[in-house]
Amino acid sequence: MLRLSLRNLLVSKLRLFLTVAAVTVGVSFVSGTFVLSDTMAKAFDELYVGLTNGTDVVVKSQPAFEADITTNGGQVRPIDEAMVDQVRAVPGVALARGSVTGFALILDKEGRPIQPGGAPTFGASIGDARLSGDFVYRQGLEPTRSDQVAIDARTADQAGFVLGDRIDVVFQSGRQTFTLVGTIGFGETDSLLGATMAGFDLTTAQRLFDKVGLVDEIDVQAQRGVGAEELRDRIAATLPDGVEALTGDQVAADGSAAVRDAMGIFTQVLLVFAGISLLVGSFVIWNTFNVLVAQRRREVALMRAVGATRGQVLRGVLLEALLVGTFSGGLGLGLGVGLAAGIRSLLKLVGVEMPTTSPAVEPRTIVAALLVGVLVTMVAAIAPAWAATRVAPMEALRDAVPARYAAGWSRSVAGGVLLTAGSAGLVACIVVGDQRWWTVLSTLVTFAGLVVAGPTLARLTAAAADHGRRGGGWRMAARNVERSARRSAATALALTIGLTVVVAVAVSAASLRESVADAVSGGNRSDLILEPAGAGLGVSPAVADLLRDRDDVADVVELRETGARVNGHDSLVSAMNADGLGRVIDLGIEEGSLDTFGPGAVLVSTQRAEDLGVGVGDSVTVTFPETGSTTMRVAATFSRGALINASYVLALPDFAANVTSELDAAILVNSAPGVDPAQGKEDITAALADYPNVTVNSPDDITEKAQSSVNQLLGIVTALLLLAVVVAVLGIVNTLVLSVVERTRELGLLRAVGGTRRQVRTVVRRESVLMSLLGAVTGVALGTVSGVALSRALVDEGFTTVAVPTVTLAIYLLVAAAVGVLAAIGPARRASRVDVLRAIASE
Amino acid sequence: MTTPGLRQRSAHTDEEQGRVRAVAASARGACKVYGAGETAVAALDDVTLDLPAGRFTAIMGPSGSGKSTLMHCLAGLDTLTSGQVLIGGTDLASLSDKERTILRRDRLGFVFQAFNLLPTLTAEENITLPVDLAGHAPEHEWFGTVVDTLNLRDRLRHRPSELSGGQQQRVAVARALITRPDVVFADEPTGALDRKAGVELLRFLRSVVDDLGQTVVMVTHDPGAAAYADRVVFLVDGGIVEELTEPTRERVLEIMGRLGD
Repeated sequence: MLRLSLRNLLVSKLRLFLTVAAVTVGVSFVSGTFVLSDTMAKAFDELYVGLTNGTDVVVKSQPAFEADITTNGGQVRPIDEAMVDQVRAVPGVALARGSVTGFALILDKEGRPIQPGGAPTFGASIGDARLSGDFVYRQGLEPTRSDQVAIDARTADQAGFVLGDRIDVVFQSGRQTFTLVGTIGFGETDSLLGATMAGFDLTTAQRLFDKVGLVDEIDVQAQRGVGAEELRDRIAATLPDGVEALTGDQVAADGSAAVRDAMGIFTQVLLVFAGISLLVGSFVIWNTFNVLVAQRRREVALMRAVGATRGQVLRGVLLEALLVGTFSGGLGLGLGVGLAAGIRSLLKLVGVEMPTTSPAVEPRTIVAALLVGVLVTMVAAIAPAWAATRVAPMEALRDAVPARYAAGWSRSVAGGVLLTAGSAGLVACIVVGDQRWWTVLSTLVTFAGLVVAGPTLARLTAAAADHGRRGGGWRMAARNVERSARRSAATALALTIGLTVVVAVAVSAASLRESVADAVSGGNRSDLILEPAGAGLGVSPAVADLLRDRDDVADVVELRETGARVNGHDSLVSAMNADGLGRVIDLGIEEGSLDTFGPGAVLVSTQRAEDLGVGVGDSVTVTFPETGSTTMRVAATFSRGALINASYVLALPDFAANVTSELDAAILVNSAPGVDPAQGKEDITAALADYPNVTVNSPDDITEKAQSSVNQLLGIVTALLLLAVVVAVLGIVNTLVLSVVERTRELGLLRAVGGTRRQVRTVVRRESVLMSLLGAVTGVALGTVSGVALSRALVDEGFTTVAVPTVTLAIYLLVAAAVGVLAAIGPARRASRVDVLRAIASE
Repeated sequence: MTTPGLRQRSAHTDEEQGRVRAVAASARGACKVYGAGETAVAALDDVTLDLPAGRFTAIMGPSGSGKSTLMHCLAGLDTLTSGQVLIGGTDLASLSDKERTILRRDRLGFVFQAFNLLPTLTAEENITLPVDLAGHAPEHEWFGTVVDTLNLRDRLRHRPSELSGGQQQRVAVARALITRPDVVFADEPTGALDRKAGVELLRFLRSVVDDLGQTVVMVTHDPGAAAYADRVVFLVDGGIVEELTEPTRERVLEIMGRLGD
């Protein structure tokens, strides 16, 4: 049986290739994701262990809670420098050294900020190299004077800095110039995950980061013979409340875990895309096996006639599926490792350098890849295999003409019911709004309806195209689609899945773009909005002070953000100046008033107030990671926080008292009366020459910026989804090739009675276009409705408006038709080259 | 069985075109060699043959005699190694693949042993297929004549799978006639039919020649079928060895027996 299955597989290398490709894409996505995340996890572990190598104990403030590293940068309250001596006096301590970190943005030779996408730009005091084992000077030496700096080797390399160059750095407090005395590496890599780092001696760093007399943490090395845990306990006994001692290993593990958590979402998103590819792939496989069985009906019938049991036939087909699945799984695994390396290089290109390590292929990855490959293939092959067992031995004696799919009346009805229920559900979701899970469920039900009613839809499509000249191209193509309605439907549905998701994403993105524009035009009252350039961390508060001194500026309102807990719920908390708040932004106050807003008060979005069950005048508890809990009074509730992405707004002094970082996320500015907006923008831009990391934007600029970042995201997501569409196109090619092979005699006959090669190609091409259009129309329709419902469901996330990008959707339809034409090129050529004599030869 | 009126109509048409079509198709020194060098096999060896218009010619011969190859070459489905095939004065060798395809479509008709029809098209659509492929509307009157001659009037809306074998072959004959071709080629047209349906089909082919004035060339190995023809050409080892006019089953059998030795 195995030999027969193997031989069957090798009969058509093209068919094998297409089937394997369909599974492999999905599997390589899955294994690539696993390998990438495992590799990165391993690399981070190694990196953190390397960095804390030599440090046995770390002393620092105890955070009130572990906030997400992305919302507060892991900052803890600085501690008194005097504690360093206190720790050094503990018996068993060999070395103890305080260190500080803070915001430091290096400028390149042209004065432009060096800001790798998304990665932090930070500065630090450079401690004792004995305390951080993998920290090495690639060139030069340690900075010891207040005008000296050492930077990471990667930044130096990219900006073309050499030792002795003058380097400008922007801090919270302003801009300063230093001399480059050293370049730093971290073990094998030249930067910390692409972050830029500027290192100073401790005193200088304390001054620059506004932490004079303070340190963020104390690194301790134990004397020989003293265990890290023992020393930790000894030190902890001497520490005041709110300060903790941790072992170096613990710190490394925590740090690595925090970064890995932040990257977890990335892994999940990739797995979702992998899932979509696999779903599309399974349709293609189902189809392939269906055709494979249909094609071999005579062979199966002959085997049955000579005594093969149904079980043997079933096992034979499933064995083929098993072989294909295992092979594809293995191939996908191999490609996945390559894919992971590819994504890494891609990340490196955009400036996120991953620490190097060998690719981590965990046993779980291997099992997952093979299991996914085999399961998807086997499940997809079960129905066709079952159909094979229904072949009567008598069929061996008849002429093999592909059976016409008989109309399943009950199937059409069931499909219709599902379709109606699903669409009704989606419409209900659109009307009601805010129904995430119902939206997803209704989409799935509608899709199930499409699957069940698929053959009926394919027949309807065929009927719609079945006109014009008798025997002319569209008619014959339509009849072929109709004859194998089930296969045509499955082929089209593979495309439907891909397009549904692509279109839903496109509609959501369009809605988000509109919502952003609305938020700016509806909620903004300021003339200018200052923001950090690129993916910068923030704007120095010195900028706000500079603006307040200007005559052409009336209102300056700073906006800061941090992760915190409100009544126990983790959330992003914003802070703004109370003075002028109502003049720069319309928060859409619903209850209460801005007049009572100030220190000790908080503004809460209507939705969150409802969730927490609080109203104006009630108290809420805000817990900051650095300092702990504070009780605040709700001054007002608001409905339009979309512009500043805020659910809670505090007064700035409260924020500053609880958060060390003084960076502004944005500064909202009103020009003085009589100042021309364009002129104002120009003047302020000129005045901020020392802060090249700040952009001065008009409200229109902000809309444009936000929209272009939505577009960028849309581009990335669409690119990932296109892989699924590519698989679907492979499916169309597959179906066409098989139906051409199946119809060799028909095609030969057509050629014999005077069909030109071109006419034969046309028939195949039109068949392809019909299937593509069926997939495209259903996909775009379902995607549009789901997208609208999804946008309505995400009203809380800032989707205040619903927009349907009709031009984009029309383009998708056209592209789908074009894809149909392209997919048909190979099969059509093959069809037109059918050998007439062989095709019509009597047996 | 002869209807003089129709014969006259056919002749009249020819005169209108300004030529007298005494010969519908012919082969001149036709050679077909498969393979090359020592393994070369001559399937046709210098065959010269005229197929008169308005006649029913049968080509007979034992298996491997080259009768099918001869028909395929005459019909423009295959090409000669040397020699000429003329269809109504056109040398097939001078045509490109596309031109030959169009010649098949417009000037030749085909009936194969089996699998003559496209299963997705109705009988009527199958009949008009060559005209449709050419992008013309079928001649309504001629279509009616053909359909009535082959007694297919009440089967036009059926798909091939809903027709008996004999009916399917009649649809194929109708399709072959729809363009008023120079020649209709039939390759063992009764081979897949039972005796009764076979005889019926042969009668229809006869009436196609007698009543519609068409030219039919049939390859067969059945002496009974050959007896329906006006003339039988016998092929052995790629060459013509005998000719028989006004054949009967007995005379055909006699010659076959002689050639078989």
